[in-house]
Amino acid sequence: MGIPCHFALFDLQPGFRLDLEQLAVRYRELARNVHPDRFADASEREQRLALEQSASLNEAYRTLKNAPQRARYLLALRGPELPLEVTVQDPGFLMQQMQWREELEDLQDSADLPGVAAFKRRLKIAQDELNESFAVCWDDPLRREEAERLMRRMQFLDKLSHEVRQLEERLDD
Amino acid sequence: MAYSEKVIDHYENPRNVGKMDAEDPDVGTGMVGAPACGDVMRLQIKVNEQGVIEDAKFKTYGCGSAIASSSLATEWMKGKTLAEAETIKNTQLAEELALPPVKIHCSVLAEDAIKAAVRDYKQKKGLL
Repeated sequence: MGIPCHFALFDLQPGFRLDLEQLAVRYRELARNVHPDRFADASEREQRLALEQSASLNEAYRTLKNAPQRARYLLALRGPELPLEVTVQDPGFLMQQMQWREELEDLQDSADLPGVAAFKRRLKIAQDELNESFAVCWDDPLRREEAERLMRRMQFLDKLSHEVRQLEERLDD
Repeated sequence: MAYSEKVIDHYENPRNVGKMDAEDPDVGTGMVGAPACGDVMRLQIKVNEQGVIEDAKFKTYGCGSAIASSSLATEWMKGKTLAEAETIKNTQLAEELALPPVKIHCSVLAEDAIKAAVRDYKQKKGLL
């Protein structure tokens, strides 16, 4: 028997659209069941098993709750695993990324919090659009290349939103 | 993680930061990115009639190693022919900058940017 798929751990069918709140609730339930405290009096074997289950549950949750990670995982279920790090040549998209980063730099220099909030909203819209495009094409073998490109774009935006959050924290201080 | 002195030097005093007109027929532009780090790198070359790279500019959003790798790449490309520039290897950049193993991909990105810029120039000139 192989390692159960991350989705199966949550009684879910592989799919990109996911209710993250529901996933979090289910995660907490499942995590309770395998929590080491519950196995304090159990045999060593049972303790070890619980620890392993807890580790795979955490790994599954971490992967599924993050859009690009979930996307990359789904593509690996349907084909070869895709490396985390590659060089992407997607000129139009990269050009836009560069513009956005310049804007973010300006927002940082001017400590423009409302500007950062507006930037964040725009980023969120772009992420939602990407997610939607990926959701409709990832499972089509003929559109795998497209799905892969979208997943890479998701990775960029995920990293960018991380940087926006860091900037917000810095400006808040 | 500690950066080497050379990385810090390029990071604090990046060489050849800037932008060229991408529409200029003598300019080749390489635009590459590393999705997991979110790094975006633009490397441009201006080539004269003898096929020598007269000038090189870059702009990189990313970590210190990515900035240093592209900064060093522009330094090395200036004065080289296209064929010479194409032989620049990421391992040479990584060695010069003493990049740790986890940062090797930054030098790979820079090598890919060099190749992309040369290819873009050749495409414009109908050399491909």
